[in-house]
Amino acid sequence: MRWWQLRRRDADLERELRSDLDLEEEEQRELGIPPEEAHYAARRAFGNATLIKEQSREAWGWAPFERLLQDFRYALRQMRRSPGFAAASVATLALGIGASTAIFSVTDAVLLRPLPYPNPQQIVRIWEQAPDGHTMNLAQLNFEDFRRQNHTFSSMAEYGYGVESMTGGSEPVRVTVAAVSKDFFTVLGVNPFLGRTFAADELLPHGAPAILVSYGYWKQDLGGARELSRFHLVMGGTDYSVVGVMPPAFDFPSDTSAWIPSELDPDTGTRTAHNWHGIGRLREGATLAEARADLDTIARRLKSHYGRAVDLNSAAVIPLADAAVGDVRTALLVLLAAVGTLLLISCANVAGLSIARTSARTRELAVRSAMGAGRGRLVRQFLAESMVMSLLAGIAGILIAGIGVRMLPAILPANLPRQKGIAMNLQVLLFALAITVFVGISLGLFTAWRAGRANLRNALNAGAHQHSGSSGVQRLRNALVTGEIALTLVVMVVAGLLGRSFWRLIETNPGFRSDHLITLQFSFPPRVNLPDTGMGKAASASTVLQVHLIDDLLSRLRALPGAGNVGIAGAIPVAAGDNLADGEFLILDGIKPPSNFAEWDVIDRNPDHVGHALYCVASRGYFTTLGIPLVRGRLFDERDGLNAPNVAVISESLARQRWPNQNPIGHVIDFGNMDGNPKPLTIVGIVGDVRVRGLDLPPGEVIYVDYRQRGMNENSMPTILMRTNTPEDQIIPLARDVFHQLAPDAPVAFTSFAEEMGGWLADRRFLLLLVGAFAASALVLVSVGLYGVIAFFVTRRTQEIGIRMAIGANRSNILRLVVGEGLRLAVAGVAVGVVVSLLMAHLLSSLLFGISPADPLTFSAIVLVLVLVTLAACFIPARRAMTVDPVTALRYE
Amino acid sequence: MLLGTLDMLILRTLLYGPAHGHHIGKHIQRTTNDFLQMQHGSLYPALHRLERKGWVASKWETAPDRNREFKYYRLTEKGRKQLVAEESQWKRMTEAVARVMWPTAEES
Repeated sequence: MRWWQLRRRDADLERELRSDLDLEEEEQRELGIPPEEAHYAARRAFGNATLIKEQSREAWGWAPFERLLQDFRYALRQMRRSPGFAAASVATLALGIGASTAIFSVTDAVLLRPLPYPNPQQIVRIWEQAPDGHTMNLAQLNFEDFRRQNHTFSSMAEYGYGVESMTGGSEPVRVTVAAVSKDFFTVLGVNPFLGRTFAADELLPHGAPAILVSYGYWKQDLGGARELSRFHLVMGGTDYSVVGVMPPAFDFPSDTSAWIPSELDPDTGTRTAHNWHGIGRLREGATLAEARADLDTIARRLKSHYGRAVDLNSAAVIPLADAAVGDVRTALLVLLAAVGTLLLISCANVAGLSIARTSARTRELAVRSAMGAGRGRLVRQFLAESMVMSLLAGIAGILIAGIGVRMLPAILPANLPRQKGIAMNLQVLLFALAITVFVGISLGLFTAWRAGRANLRNALNAGAHQHSGSSGVQRLRNALVTGEIALTLVVMVVAGLLGRSFWRLIETNPGFRSDHLITLQFSFPPRVNLPDTGMGKAASASTVLQVHLIDDLLSRLRALPGAGNVGIAGAIPVAAGDNLADGEFLILDGIKPPSNFAEWDVIDRNPDHVGHALYCVASRGYFTTLGIPLVRGRLFDERDGLNAPNVAVISESLARQRWPNQNPIGHVIDFGNMDGNPKPLTIVGIVGDVRVRGLDLPPGEVIYVDYRQRGMNENSMPTILMRTNTPEDQIIPLARDVFHQLAPDAPVAFTSFAEEMGGWLADRRFLLLLVGAFAASALVLVSVGLYGVIAFFVTRRTQEIGIRMAIGANRSNILRLVVGEGLRLAVAGVAVGVVVSLLMAHLLSSLLFGISPADPLTFSAIVLVLVLVTLAACFIPARRAMTVDPVTALRYE
Repeated sequence: MLLGTLDMLILRTLLYGPAHGHHIGKHIQRTTNDFLQMQHGSLYPALHRLERKGWVASKWETAPDRNREFKYYRLTEKGRKQLVAEESQWKRMTEAVARVMWPTAEES
């Protein structure tokens, strides 16, 4: 029998019993018993018909299911009976479940889901590690030693990437291109979707140039053609044949459009130029610890062999999944914790509501149990009620989460890895279901536990009103609200600390003016080949071409109406932070400039002659446009032509650090390792500090060189900066025209500096926005919870208030009574919350900037807000209490 | 009544031919000279249980003497096998009990 036949089955049973009962009656009559008596005799003989029916139904095997249906029907009826309570509970829970599910979908995609490679747990990132523990990318020769001497890796590869202009597709583009070594695709275990990986003759210095492209580039720029041999892509004057297309899901390094062999253009082979990212795949059975120890041994051997000529003395090996996530982990865990707290608060709120309702239902429950409903039966009933509620909330929550997930990309920081995978998938739905069921069961058990404590006889005897005010109920609700206040305070403190850090960051003086700035990032067209880095190779011909183009661009841009200041640099500060190259420079001061690497190395061994700085190519206009002040000496000027003695301007912090209490002007330095130009530089000026690496980091020590003398090199991202009062949408088309006339084949990207800045702040803003939203929701929930409790308090005390007023209490006494009750709860909750926050806030410290995790201003502001919210929540009940009419109140019972 | 014996008794009764619930109850009661008082409270659930197990089948039929429809149960093939099984089980059980209770009788 199937369950949908139950109804028919029921009718059948009814009919069967009736016909048999009638027969019994007939037989009784036939025995000569009077009809009236026969009727009852038959019934007596038959026994309890209802019981028979019930027991027969049990025999069908569907009884538990049927009871469940009954419970759910009853639960729905209960909800219909008090729609306000039901709606409030469902909405509250839906908020909690929806927010949790949305955040879980992010966590799932970014942190939990395995990387899309075979056996991803075997893939690791590899770094050199300095004695002070900071990690560095790999230098070519050290990588080769790691690769050859290890016993724990099945394969190891290096890669580097940068933005390149590429022609040969449907149009010239600026795309990220990665140079990868031989085993790169073996380490990741990924095969091309179409074509092949690099062949042996393409993996040689000056071998046949070959290139693999991403699925996206292939679709968009190569038209998705399956015949690849006819495609040739040109980069930096080299013609690459397209040999393969990677699969759609392959995205490593992030956002790469093309891969070329790193062997093609071999590295100069140093042990201190940390140019390469390292990855490796662990041998079957090798552990992370073994791999670490293995590479450490090699690193120590290198250190003892080469001494000061290497920077490393150990190695860092971290699973690729962890390395990719990096700092995001803390932020996501904070978010998850915040949203979990919100869920808890919403549960506490609903628990408080349902206690109030259960106590109103005490008589009903007492009657039910007097009629023979067992304890288990009542518990089942409560479970059914809370399950119905949480299931409805779960459905609404999933809808909310669905909307949230669709809206998230708008606020997700661009640097959040793997965000393309964020979706409402099966995993996320299962998570939503799990918390829904968990919430339903815990609320049901909680309510049942409360109801189970009610004394049956008392309940039946007592009047409903009297009972709904039992002090036990009030105590429990108070405890719940106190807990809610504490939790809310914790979430608000987190939001407050993040918010204060954010403001601190925005207020931080970056060392320049960032308003009204437009940036034009471009690449040189193919005819202006970038000079090679490497000692001794003067690339002056190319530099001359560059300088001509830049001079033309700058003067044409300056001539635009309303152009304002215009300057150029090899990178923009803050926004793209880390794209300034850094390295060691030599202080010559009379020593003969080195003419090759060996000589350079000799001088480099004397610490007195070595400094460390960031390297930035700039123009005079760069300083005036950004408003970087000249502190001493002079900026670049007409004297500094291509053939004049090369000059440098340094930042104040470098002057302080390297030439304390001295005048650095006039000192001669060598920074040729940055651009391959061996001409020494004479320091002619000192400029103000700029927070080049980001607002949350101290100002960087920078050496600026003049583009007219050194040219842009491959470490540069040429960027023209314009400060103008003309609106962006008017000046940008004009500037674009200038570019199109002077360098039609040069890719260029226009943005405002504010946008670049915004990108840099995006991850902090994202976290702040969400935690802020959770804190605000928590505050709303807690004020509703507080209101409920205070209103309940007033209702319960109506009689008492009436008596007090009758014997002369005035309105302010009553106000004090009600508000006092509210504040008592608030103070308890705040005290607990502050202690918990103080204990937990230090976990946040990596996300904070410029304030302590125990920031007194944040804490006191939030306590104040909570107290104000408490007062507001007391307001309506207090007003009702003050207008109580003593006569009515005394009759209230 | 001993647990499980009711099923056997019902199946045995149905060996005579199809019967309705009341009939079955009365029959068992009469045959045992009212020693086994049939409780309707256990009879009907037992019938439904047997039906669910497929040992009996039911059909609404007009009783020859009453001119009204009753729900008639009849033994199925499966039920017949079950009856045989239960009967032998019961036999072994009573013999075993008898051996314990009246050991001398067994020796003789």
